[in-house]
Amino acid sequence: MAALQFIFDFFRLSIKALTERKTRALLTIIGIAIGPLALVMISSVIDGYGDYVISQIEGLGQNAIVLFPESNYRFTQKDLDAIRALPHVKRAEPFYSIQAQVRVGTQTRMVFVYAIPIDVVFEAIKGLEIYKGYTPSDTEYLKALVGYKIAFDDNNNQVYDLGDVISVTYIRSSGGKQEIKKASISIAGILKEFGGAFFLSPDTTIFLPLPAGQRVLGLSDWSGIFVLVDSSTYVSDVMEQLRQMFGSSASIISFQSIANIANSIIGAMNFISFSASLSAFAVAVAGVAATMITSVVERTREIGVLKALGFSDPQVLIMILMEGVVMSLIGGAIGISLGIVGAHILASRGFEIRAATQAVMVVKASPKITAMGIGRAVGLTVLVGVLGGIFPAYRASKIPPAVALRYE
Amino acid sequence: MPREVIVLEDVVKVYRVGDIVTYGLRGVSLKIYEGEFIAIMGPSGSGKTTLLNMIGLLDKPSSGRIYIDGVEVSKLSAREIARVRNLKIGFVFQFFNLINRLTVLENIEMPLIPRGIPRPERVERAKEALLLAGGELSWLPKKPLQLSGGQQQRVAIARAIVGNPSIILADEPTGNLDRASTKTVIQTFLELNKRGATIAMVTHDPEVANCTQKIYIIRDGMIVGVREPDKSRCVLYTQ
Repeated sequence: MAALQFIFDFFRLSIKALTERKTRALLTIIGIAIGPLALVMISSVIDGYGDYVISQIEGLGQNAIVLFPESNYRFTQKDLDAIRALPHVKRAEPFYSIQAQVRVGTQTRMVFVYAIPIDVVFEAIKGLEIYKGYTPSDTEYLKALVGYKIAFDDNNNQVYDLGDVISVTYIRSSGGKQEIKKASISIAGILKEFGGAFFLSPDTTIFLPLPAGQRVLGLSDWSGIFVLVDSSTYVSDVMEQLRQMFGSSASIISFQSIANIANSIIGAMNFISFSASLSAFAVAVAGVAATMITSVVERTREIGVLKALGFSDPQVLIMILMEGVVMSLIGGAIGISLGIVGAHILASRGFEIRAATQAVMVVKASPKITAMGIGRAVGLTVLVGVLGGIFPAYRASKIPPAVALRYE
Repeated sequence: MPREVIVLEDVVKVYRVGDIVTYGLRGVSLKIYEGEFIAIMGPSGSGKTTLLNMIGLLDKPSSGRIYIDGVEVSKLSAREIARVRNLKIGFVFQFFNLINRLTVLENIEMPLIPRGIPRPERVERAKEALLLAGGELSWLPKKPLQLSGGQQQRVAIARAIVGNPSIILADEPTGNLDRASTKTVIQTFLELNKRGATIAMVTHDPEVANCTQKIYIIRDGMIVGVREPDKSRCVLYTQ
């Protein structure tokens, strides 16, 4: 009880001491606030986007694997049959893919065009649904299922409807030459808005039946093979078998491994942002120390009086240290509050995923503000007060009272 | 026979700055008994304040022994010394040494904070101390600089006595006051002494010293004489 009273009294005295030197204290508090502001703002945005990206990647199919041929290799029917024969492989389907431009209202939009047995896409991507229309069959290779953001512009006005024809412009490489090609595709169905992820964003994708790859897009070779495994637990086994089968002839990617890579990248980004924030905390330590040293020098006589009144060295130390901690807590509260506001503002801007110079999609995710993140910021901020205040407080506690009382 | 409250045995204080050695005290021996009110007089630089600092445990002697209530102080830890200062000794300074950002109430209750006494009790004790020191309760919410010098010194006395110490040490408590305030302060000290406090006061003013029971004369760091005060020349009875 006495200890609580003691802490409460010292807290009150610290506030009084700080209000006597308002400007100096305020500037120090601003300096302290920058650390938690940066830490909370950047970390929560990175975490928020990280979670979003991971969930999107995982949503694309935890049991999906994609094979892309290296430049000197082309997949054959024999390869496809061999893959289909592997244990735990549920389905294996070839696909053609290109990037193309389409007009969406007044804008030109970069889109992905996949020619693939479309039902496999629905099997792999849970939650993908048709908004209106239907999935064209293999014989309807001039018809397509289009993503929501192709049929609707940014203001949610419908630009294309069922039966409309979309003109797709793309670059085709053949025999070392590149030529601009155009294709006209009729819309058979429109997908509901999905939210999209990085390299397979259903919202900005045109899905064509597999034969359209050759007959409409004029592509001779498969762009890759899409493999569905019985269960996500077998993904690594199947990937290992595929690696043994193709060696360096193909790149083998699973959404699961992409999620792992994304996790590592997000972890690295978090570490970098944390390290950068630490420099702000280090500067704050110096700021608190400078303020506290000046304060102690100015209050030398007062410290002598306190000792004459019976305050012990540890009590003087705690009292001075408390001022640093109080400044830190105020700075921390301001910094964390601004950090949360800043994180929402920053996150609300979203970030664009670009292909060439065109924005393919804008990803928006809420910042991830957790008790642990806030606790970390509070802990570091209090540490700033303790580290910045400990030397001046120690010095104050060791001033002999008779010397302090003589101080002019 | 009154009890010895403060005993100094051959206390020497040496200040060294580089090769320069200065003697603050040169073997002072002194006994102050319970309930005594003594004055320490001497010219500037004679060692009055140094002696008071030794008695008040604000400074350590270079040699010699100091006993407070029979306990040799050199055997106490820094924390125990702080506790003795807090429980047994009250200080009054020439320039009041009040903390100007705090209110009068907060200044007076300050010595009770290290004891962990709850605020309501501190407030009551601060009020009693201020009244005993001749102050008014209307001063409590004010800041020290809103009061006159005499009023501030009464607040400082209230702060010194709020913890109910048995010893009051005053360093030139009237040195910065007008005559009327000086009389009030001395009257307060006499009242506290009557209630049992042992008081040691450093002063330049013979009329103030004459209000006490014994006057020690100090010169060049040594007590060179002890004389009985001339009560008729106490500031309370002179024009």
